Amino acid sequence: MTITFPHMGRMYIPVKALFDDLGVKVVVPPPVSKETLEIGTRLAPEMACLPMKINLGNYIQSMEKGADTIVLTGSCGPCRFGYYGVVEKEILKDNGYDADVVILDAPGREPQVLLNRIRKISGNSSWLKIARAFLQASKVVEQVDEFIDILLKKRPRELNKGETDRVQSKFEKEVLICKGSGETLEFIEEYKEKAAQIPERPGVQPLHIGIVGEIYTLIEPYVNLNIENKLGHLGAEVHRGITVTDWVKTHLSLDMIYKRERKKKLKKAENYLSLCIGGHAWETIAETVHYADMGLDGIIQVLPFGCMPEIVAESIIPTISRDKGVPAMTLTVDELTGEAGYMTRLEAFVDLLSQKKGRVYERS
Amino acid sequence: MKIGIPRALLYPIYIPLWKTFFEELGHQVVLSGRTSKGILNNGVKTCVDDACLPVKLFHGHVMDLIGKADVILVPRLISIYPGEFICPKFIGLPEMIKNSVSGSPKLLIMNFNARDRLEKGYDGMRQLGRELGASNTNVERALDRARARQAEYESMLESGFSPKSILEKRNARQSPASVKGRIGLIGHPYLVYDDYINMNIVEKLAARGYEAIFPENVPLEDIELACSRYPKKLFWSYGKRLLGGGLTMLEKRKVDGLIILTSFGCGIDAFIDELLLRANQREYRIPQTTITLDEHTGQAGFDTRLEAFIDMMEWRGRYDNNIPAYGTDVYTGKSLV
Ligand code: SF4
Ligand code: SF4
Repeated sequence: MTITFPHMGRMYIPVKALFDDLGVKVVVPPPVSKETLEIGTRLAPEMACLPMKINLGNYIQSMEKGADTIVLTGSCGPCRFGYYGVVEKEILKDNGYDADVVILDAPGREPQVLLNRIRKISGNSSWLKIARAFLQASKVVEQVDEFIDILLKKRPRELNKGETDRVQSKFEKEVLICKGSGETLEFIEEYKEKAAQIPERPGVQPLHIGIVGEIYTLIEPYVNLNIENKLGHLGAEVHRGITVTDWVKTHLSLDMIYKRERKKKLKKAENYLSLCIGGHAWETIAETVHYADMGLDGIIQVLPFGCMPEIVAESIIPTISRDKGVPAMTLTVDELTGEAGYMTRLEAFVDLLSQKKGRVYERS
Repeated sequence: MKIGIPRALLYPIYIPLWKTFFEELGHQVVLSGRTSKGILNNGVKTCVDDACLPVKLFHGHVMDLIGKADVILVPRLISIYPGEFICPKFIGLPEMIKNSVSGSPKLLIMNFNARDRLEKGYDGMRQLGRELGASNTNVERALDRARARQAEYESMLESGFSPKSILEKRNARQSPASVKGRIGLIGHPYLVYDDYINMNIVEKLAARGYEAIFPENVPLEDIELACSRYPKKLFWSYGKRLLGGGLTMLEKRKVDGLIILTSFGCGIDAFIDELLLRANQREYRIPQTTITLDEHTGQAGFDTRLEAFIDMMEWRGRYDNNIPAYGTDVYTGKSLV
């Protein structure tokens, strides 16, 4: 059994550490690229969600490298994410790819099914070992996000242009060499240190921009055309509504404190949306209100074309923007989104925010 | 009070329930006009661009009711069957209207959430009835009558009538004079039953001698059975109906062809159509085509697609061959040349 999984931002780091700890062979899909998307676009229905197209591309590329078992998580509606696995299975089957697809669903009425599946992909390790590996992996998740958060703060303030990006790309290249959670955690620690050392220009007061929206689009840099870095270079400090850590804590863990906090946060959306409509639209609205109340300079919503819940959020955001007097913009991405047009919109938005603040921003 | 009901989204399915309920409570029900160019344009203008055609149309229908009704009903159909949903946009519909349509009278938001238990779904109606000032007894009585009407209506749908023939009391089953065959028309109710939006497809099929059959004509048991082939329960009620309805039509050899009507950007159909297409290709090999509708769909292009499909279907019937004159595979529509 050689396992692979879909890419979702830097999720590959904890996932690889997890399977390393369990002693299970794992293939990390090659970084998402044009080719990945092309494979997915060829195989998936035209109107499928962009994330699913990329997932399919990931699987094929991993299978070419020897993976035979695909692990993914599911959910039970209302959005399409919960049915990705089934549709993907059918597509792979019809195209002659013979992979074992293991879907880890939230344990509804039959927890045993989930437990058996976990056992299976863990190479029949003992439960103690499995529990420890999951715990370690969740530490990795948090550490990676902390590292990224440092970079987000550094980018608009860096003294030497491009240094933050250099640290990041070196990190991403080398992290895969680590074997197991222990080495990985040490490695991240070292890089957090390096990131913290990046020299800053004194007295920089960057714009503050919050990004909200569909979770996959937020987390996977290829899909959002690296919005975090682009905004950073335009001189803005980026605040992320949802991170891999949040996703893991919401969907996979039993962290009760986090869940209570999450409820509190969702309450902020109250005046605009007060129930779950699927996907992360509720979070999108709550985060938008939260950022507006925090006094951020602007908010950007990102969503893949046709994303049902985010379209609902998209119609609510202008009202929040009006009520709270904070500029907001929506960016819809699909496989045809071009770098140039996207950049123009980001620049225009940043210009607008700087004018509103009554100053000319400095690009790093 | 005059309660306006938009003639959009699941109106053709639930109108007996809604209308009877409000009328029994002593209110007057007014419907928005039939879908027209004006309604469509208003909807497109008001709604966020990224939304699908049916949701844009709903916006247009709400606007059509401004000035005609004291309040406008916006159903929030979270779940119509335990463990299932319809589509995220149905859940967020009141928010979309609230934030996009300006100048509307008060919106009457009616929740229906049967996610846990079917009976619980009606609690939203009960609550609304009470908010409108009715006593518990009156609400229950109105609800009983409304549900009885609805049950009658649904069983007529199952026995092969279309909403139009029942609601407009046309007794004919809209069948063509001489029937050459039948075509399954797979699509959400708001597409297959809105003649403006679907370019009158039912009549056009009839003119060529084909009778249309709809997912609503397939009993729920058959739908469940057909969908049980998938390893995971489908949690979209209409998605399930479309897929299970289509599969049942294929399985029982009820149709000579399948036409899928879908709206551009429909997230649910993207998956459902794919599953149906793959099953058909593998097991049944009945001609199938997908026609995508959006606000730019033109009459001429639509007719050409439809004609071409029927020609191809008949051609295949004559020669019993999978490769039609056009050089495209009849199942996938993919070019073979
Ligand atoms: S939230 Fe959006 S991207 Fe995610 S499954 Fe739903 S439609 Fe697809
Ligand atoms: S099911 Fe499809 S067509 Fe209907 S509202 Fe949802 S996305 Fe639109």
